Amino acid sequence: MKFISDYIVPIGPEGLHIVQTGKWRTRKPVMDKEACVRCGMCLMYCPVNSVKKLADGSFEICYDYCKGCGICAHECKKGAIKMVPVKEEE
Amino acid sequence: MAEVKVINGNMAAAIGARLCRPDIIAAYPITPQTPIVEYLADFVTGGLLDSSVSEVESELSAMSVVTGASLAGSRVFTATASQGLSLMYEPYFRASTLRLPVVMAVANREMISPQTLWGGPQDSLTVRDAGWLQIYVEDNQEILDTLIMAYRIAEDKNVLLPINVCFDGFYLSHMSERVEIPEQAQVDDFLPKYVPEHIILDPSRPMAVDPLTNGYLLTEYRLKHMLAQQNALKLLESLDGEFKERFGRNYGGAVEEYLCEDADYILVTMGSMTGVSKDCVDAAREAGKKIGLLKIRMVRPFPSDRVAAVLKGRKAYGVIDRNVSFGWNTGIIYEEICASMNRAGQFVPNIPFIAGLGGEDITAAHIDYAIDEIINHAADAVKNATVWLNREDKGKEDTK
Amino acid sequence: MNVIDKLAIYEDQISPGISACVGCNVELTLRTCMKVLGPDTIFAIPPGCMGGVGVVGWDKKSGAKTPVFFPLLDNVASMLAGIKLHYEHIGRHVNVVAFAGDGASVDAGMQCLSGAAERGDKLIYICYDNEGYMNTGYQRSGSTTKGAWTSTTPVINGKGGKKQNKKDFPMIMAMHDLPYMATMSPAYIPDMVRKLEKAMAVESGLVYLHVYNPCLTGWGCTSDESIEACRLSVETNFAPLYEVENGSFQMSVDVKNPKPVREFIRKFKKFRHLTDEDIDALQELTDRKIDRLRKLCTL
Repeated sequence: MKFISDYIVPIGPEGLHIVQTGKWRTRKPVMDKEACVRCGMCLMYCPVNSVKKLADGSFEICYDYCKGCGICAHECKKGAIKMVPVKEEE
Repeated sequence: MAEVKVINGNMAAAIGARLCRPDIIAAYPITPQTPIVEYLADFVTGGLLDSSVSEVESELSAMSVVTGASLAGSRVFTATASQGLSLMYEPYFRASTLRLPVVMAVANREMISPQTLWGGPQDSLTVRDAGWLQIYVEDNQEILDTLIMAYRIAEDKNVLLPINVCFDGFYLSHMSERVEIPEQAQVDDFLPKYVPEHIILDPSRPMAVDPLTNGYLLTEYRLKHMLAQQNALKLLESLDGEFKERFGRNYGGAVEEYLCEDADYILVTMGSMTGVSKDCVDAAREAGKKIGLLKIRMVRPFPSDRVAAVLKGRKAYGVIDRNVSFGWNTGIIYEEICASMNRAGQFVPNIPFIAGLGGEDITAAHIDYAIDEIINHAADAVKNATVWLNREDKGKEDTK
Repeated sequence: MNVIDKLAIYEDQISPGISACVGCNVELTLRTCMKVLGPDTIFAIPPGCMGGVGVVGWDKKSGAKTPVFFPLLDNVASMLAGIKLHYEHIGRHVNVVAFAGDGASVDAGMQCLSGAAERGDKLIYICYDNEGYMNTGYQRSGSTTKGAWTSTTPVINGKGGKKQNKKDFPMIMAMHDLPYMATMSPAYIPDMVRKLEKAMAVESGLVYLHVYNPCLTGWGCTSDESIEACRLSVETNFAPLYEVENGSFQMSVDVKNPKPVREFIRKFKKFRHLTDEDIDALQELTDRKIDRLRKLCTL
């Protein structure tokens, strides 16, 4: 194991420690943009900050870190988000 | 010109700290350190010192506040004793492993039980392996001077470690003697401003402090930590001369050798007992006994090479400890010296002494007795059998 | 700007991937708080769930974009006090923030927190109360509800569970005469954002914010219902939302027709063994507390 000799003390200045939580998903939220009323509840309640608001005012789910918790689907008053099982090949 | 005052050890510590201009001070009162907290509060309230003081609710918080402030980039000061140091233990250990140059005065006091208030370095010696630097001093002038040196050592780029300046409670903390107080400008010249470059909590330089860390990195940090301690030892030795030039006083570095050059026998002491011991050594010399004295100043890191160099080839030596090393039936400094001699491949007949526990007096009679024991009985003494100087039978009955 | 837009625009200060449990409402709370607090913030993550999931980082990497550090379980507020003291000493404004669990706040860290509150150290102290030591496997804390199963208050053959009432910590903190104290819930994000903004504007003394965070894994609840569980804690008055500004109490969300506490309790496996009498007792306690709180609001 190679050491960086400059470090004398435990600090973390070398960027972000990122866990690929998107790989945890066993089901994924799929948004029906037609049914969406743009209330933003999905963005507000997403624990992993994976809902984006687009310039046209619509919302979009990003899947990089989405853990598939289902909160957005559960909180959506219009039922515009459905949880869909993740297929093995994905 | 330096000002001369008659002050007690706590005042010497408070003035020493003041001269180093700490940004942040946090300390919680405990006998016999309490007056330090009061003096510093007076200095700040009276405008003599531009520090921010946190009136903390415990020693745990005192240590934690100075840790936080040091992490953010402040020069810090705290002081404690005994149970207070014990309560600090969790953040105490961590200040060293975070490599924070915290300076802490310790007015040494015995550990409970039994209930006790009086002097003795059992408190700070017990935590000697927590990664700090530790220096033990003999008198009030040395308290003040060593505090100034302590900041210089702790903040040195090759060191960056916290440091204890330890002095016997009551014997020094509450005893008044003549102390020369250097001018502020002299200290400012000696002590550059602290600028942290190894660790910082600052939104303009974002970093995590203490992420979860694997063993291979932890190993790296420990290795560097110990090397830094050795750097501190070298620095203390080399600062001695510079301090003498600037302030007119020096202390021998990590140890002080007193009449050792031609001595056949050596008495090893530490802390306030050294004064009377030097008088006794003088008297013994006049009586034709070839004894010298070795005063231990630095305990962490232990100056093992120098100690072994002083002791090797002598006819005998003895070590007086004002503390116990539970499990070894001796004092702590005695064991440190045994380890040093073993490392150097040396053996010299010796006697461990324990005296002055719980603030009991260590009198000239005790020292005279110890000197005679070293000269007359070290060679045929039972190896490592401690002589308890404050006991009538010197502990012989119980430790048979 | 409305809250949704704020949350859409504000930069997430936390690593996009932290290993909090799926659906964790503490993760939501942390990201929301840090978005509002912004980049000019130093924050402490003591031992607990958020420390365990990597917010302080790993080896030489950080779990956050702003300076973050790992205080000890029992000295969070004091370490922060030292940091804040430094920045006050040099005359620079920085938000100095704790994001600590109930173990580090209500139990082991209470002395330091109480000391900092009394001294008026200018910190924003956020406690996420998930009623126990969830990161180490759901042991009970002083904040665990009476009757709850935890790994140290096991239930065997229907008997067991925690024997004592939960410590009412927001009220204890309110009695420190703080400039601002508030309770928050991840189900009420606009309320949370408003309270954080208020906290940031406080110039004197410590701000204490207490968030009630039902723990999915430790309490036994599905991730879909994470926010619903939080909402029920408010709608039943089990964890009411209120704020105390310079001694003046005010309900933030006044639940006029509360749902029975039973509805909240029945959501979780940790309460599954409770008898009707046990739940009635919790209802009584809840009623008594909300009554007292309402009286305080009239003073």
